[in-house]
Amino acid sequence: MNLRVFLLLTASPLLFAQNEDKAKDLDRVAQVATAMVDGDVCLRIQTQRSLQFLFKTDPRDPWVASDNFDVNDEAFIQTKKTLIRLARLCAESCDANLWMPVQSNPPQVQILIRNVYEMSAFWKWGELHQEMPSEMKRVLSTRERVSVSRGTGMISVLTPVYDSLGDIVALVEVVGQAKRDLRENVK
Amino acid sequence: MIRLAIVLAAALRCAGADLVVLPEHLRPDPFGGIVDADRVAGAAPAHWLALVSGRAAYASCHLIAIVPEGGEYGIEVAGFPEESGLQVDLYREWFHLLPASKRYYPDALIPVHSPFRSTMPEPDNRVPHQTAQGFWVDIWVPAKTRPGMYKMTVTLKAGRSVSSIPIELTVIAATVPAEDAVAIDHNSYGTSWLADQYPALRKRLGADFYTSDEFFRLIHSLHGIFYEHRGVFHQLGYGHAGKVGPEFAPQLAGSGRNKHTTDWSLYDRHYGPLFDGSAFAGSRRGPKPIPFVYLPINPEWPASFLWWGEPGYEKEFVNIVSDMERHFREKGWTETRFEMFFNHKKRYKGFPWDGDEVRFVRDYDYFREYARMLKLAVPADTPVKFVFRADVSWTMERQFKELAGIVNFWVCGGGEFGWYDDAPRMLKGRGDIVWIYGATPAVTEPSSHITLQVLRPWLWGIDGFVHWQTTDPGSDPWFQFNGGREALIYPGDRFGIAAPIPSIRLKIQRNAVQDITLLNDFRKSQPLERLRAEAARRFNETTLQDWWTPKPAFATKDPLEWTNADYGAIPENPKFDRALDAAAWQRVRAYVLELAREVK
Repeated sequence: MNLRVFLLLTASPLLFAQNEDKAKDLDRVAQVATAMVDGDVCLRIQTQRSLQFLFKTDPRDPWVASDNFDVNDEAFIQTKKTLIRLARLCAESCDANLWMPVQSNPPQVQILIRNVYEMSAFWKWGELHQEMPSEMKRVLSTRERVSVSRGTGMISVLTPVYDSLGDIVALVEVVGQAKRDLRENVK
Repeated sequence: MIRLAIVLAAALRCAGADLVVLPEHLRPDPFGGIVDADRVAGAAPAHWLALVSGRAAYASCHLIAIVPEGGEYGIEVAGFPEESGLQVDLYREWFHLLPASKRYYPDALIPVHSPFRSTMPEPDNRVPHQTAQGFWVDIWVPAKTRPGMYKMTVTLKAGRSVSSIPIELTVIAATVPAEDAVAIDHNSYGTSWLADQYPALRKRLGADFYTSDEFFRLIHSLHGIFYEHRGVFHQLGYGHAGKVGPEFAPQLAGSGRNKHTTDWSLYDRHYGPLFDGSAFAGSRRGPKPIPFVYLPINPEWPASFLWWGEPGYEKEFVNIVSDMERHFREKGWTETRFEMFFNHKKRYKGFPWDGDEVRFVRDYDYFREYARMLKLAVPADTPVKFVFRADVSWTMERQFKELAGIVNFWVCGGGEFGWYDDAPRMLKGRGDIVWIYGATPAVTEPSSHITLQVLRPWLWGIDGFVHWQTTDPGSDPWFQFNGGREALIYPGDRFGIAAPIPSIRLKIQRNAVQDITLLNDFRKSQPLERLRAEAARRFNETTLQDWWTPKPAFATKDPLEWTNADYGAIPENPKFDRALDAAAWQRVRAYVLELAREVK
C-alpha cells in the first residue's frame, strides 16, 4: 500500500463524517425552509409579462426572454429575506435558493432567487430556465426532502414549498460546499 | 507616430532567405503575404522603411523573416545610438489558426531579444509549410530624445544567406502629452480565470496562489500592460448575487450598527500599489495612480440585503463606506475615481432590479436610494473621488434626465448613444464623465477597425471607450482561435512569462491613442471642430454628422417594446464597417504629422 492510498483510506472516514454532519445541518435548515417560505408569495414573484416571454424565442433576438425577465419587487424581497435568514441558520456558509417549476413539456424549472455565496448544485450559470433535474421531480412527487452530493464537494438539500392550497409550488435548495471556492461566479 | 515610405520590393525578392518590412497596419501571414483583411491597393513588403515619430511615443512596424527553404535562422537588430535614448522592443508574432476559415492571423506578441535564433517553421507555432515569421518592432522615443534622423539595421541570417535592411526613424519636436485625449478602458471580471490562464504559476504556488505576492504581481502586470499601452484596466470584483472576491474588498464583521471593517490587508496588497502608482514604477510612462476603479459596493455589500428598506441597511452602508473614505483619505489615495457601480441584472436572479443596462423604469428608484446613502457616507469636502457610474443602453435618454445629479459617470451603449447628438453637450456641460462601450474587433477584421473606437469618442466630445471584455482569448487561442473579440492580451504562461503579453491590436490601438492625443493638443492653436472634421474626412471620408445615426422609428416607442431584432434592422453605414480599409488610421496619422511637423 503506498502512502497516497494509505492517507486516502485513513482520511475517508473523517471526510465522510464531515459530509454527513454538513448534510444533516443543511437538512435541518431545509426542514425549516418548508415551514417558513410562503408559496403564495413565491407565485407572485415573477411578473405575468415576464412569464409570457419566458419561452419566447426569436432567431433575430437571442435575448428576448432574458431582456424581458422581471419580478415584483415586494414578493421577491420578502422571499429573499426569508431565504437569507434561513441561510443564517446553517452552521457554516450556505445559500438558500428558490426554484420554481414552470409549466412546460418536458418539465422545466427556473431558479428565481439566488444568494450571496452564489452556490447551487443545479443552476447552469446564466440559464433563465432549464430541464428539471430528476432530484427535483422526486421532491415534487414524493413531497420529501432530497439530499444531493456532487463531485465538486457541493451538498444540496431540496425541500418543497407549499402554497395555501397545500400544493407544492416551489423548492428551496439549501446548499453548502466542503471547500468553498471564494472566486467562482465573481463575474 | 510614424509615416512610412515603402519601396516596393516584390521584384527584388530572390529565392533565398529575405528580410522585409511592413507598416503596422499590414499584418503578415506565415507564408510571406499580407492577411486578407489588410490587403489594400499598393500594399507589399518592402526592403526599406522610414518611420516618423513624435517624442514620448512609440513607432512600430512588422519585420518579416522569409526563409523558404526552412531550417535555422537568426535576426539581429543593430540598434540606434545610445545617446538617442531610443529603445527597441522586439516581439515574435504568433500565428493563430482560425478553424472556421483555416486561415492564420498574427496577434499575440511574444517578447524576444536580439539576437533571436529559431527554426522555420517555428516549432511551437506548428504552421504547416510556414515560410515567413513576423516580428513586431516597437521603438520607444523618450521625451528627451533630440529631434533628428536615426538609423538602425536589422540583419537576417539563414544558412549562408545574409540580408540586412535599414530602418530610419525621424524624430520630430512634437511631444505626445502624458494625459490621453480619450480613455480606452479594458474590462474584465473577477480573478478566477487567472488560475486557468497561468497553470504553471498556479501549480508552483499551490493553495497559496491567491494570497501570494506573485498573484498580486500578476494583477499589477495586467494593469501595467494596459497602462503602458495608454489604456485603463478594470476588474469587477463581485458577482450578480453579490459574492465579493476576497481581494476586492476589506473584510467585514458584525451586523447592523456594529458592522465594521476588520482587515484591509488583501485589499491594500491588491490596490495600494495601484492607487499610489508604485506598481508602474518600472514603466516607461512612470509611476501614476490608476485613474478608475470599481468599488465592491453592490446590493449585498457592504450592507446585507436582509436589511434592505430598514434602518440597518443604511447604517451598515454608511458606516462601511465612511470607513472606506477614511481609509483612502488617510492613505492619500486621492487621484483615483472610486466607482459605485451596479453590474447585476435581475435575469441572474440575485436581486429584484437591474443595475446594469436598466430596461425597467421603476428600477431608477434604487439608484436614487444609493445616491442618497452615498451622500450620507462621504463628506462633502473629501479629497477622495467617489463617482456614481451607470452602464446604460435601453433607457439612456430618460436616465440622462431623470438621474441627473445622481449618476455622474455614464458608460453608454455606443450604438444607442449615436442617436443622441445633443447628449455630449448636455452631459459634459454638467460635469459628468461619459464613455461608450462596445465589443473588440476580431483579428479577421481590417487592422484599422480597432482605431474606430479611439476616434469615435474624441469626435463626439466624450471621454472614453470601454472594451467590455479583454482578457478572455478562449480555451485554446493558440491553435483553435475564436477571433479574439473578448481579448486584447494573452497569458504569457505558455512562454514562461508570469504576466500577460500584448497583441498587435493592442499595439495599433495604443499608437492611435498617441496620435489622437497629439492631435487633440493642437486645439490650443486651431479650432477643435476643424481638427475633428479633418480627422473624420481622412479616416473614412465622412463628415462629423455622419458619425451620428438618426434615431430609428422603434426608439420613439416604450423601450419595453424594443427588441434586439430592431437593432439588427438598422441600416449599416459601410463606411464604418465593410468599406473601412486597413489604411484608415494611417491617413489620420499623416494629418497629425502634417500638423506636428510645424511644431518647433
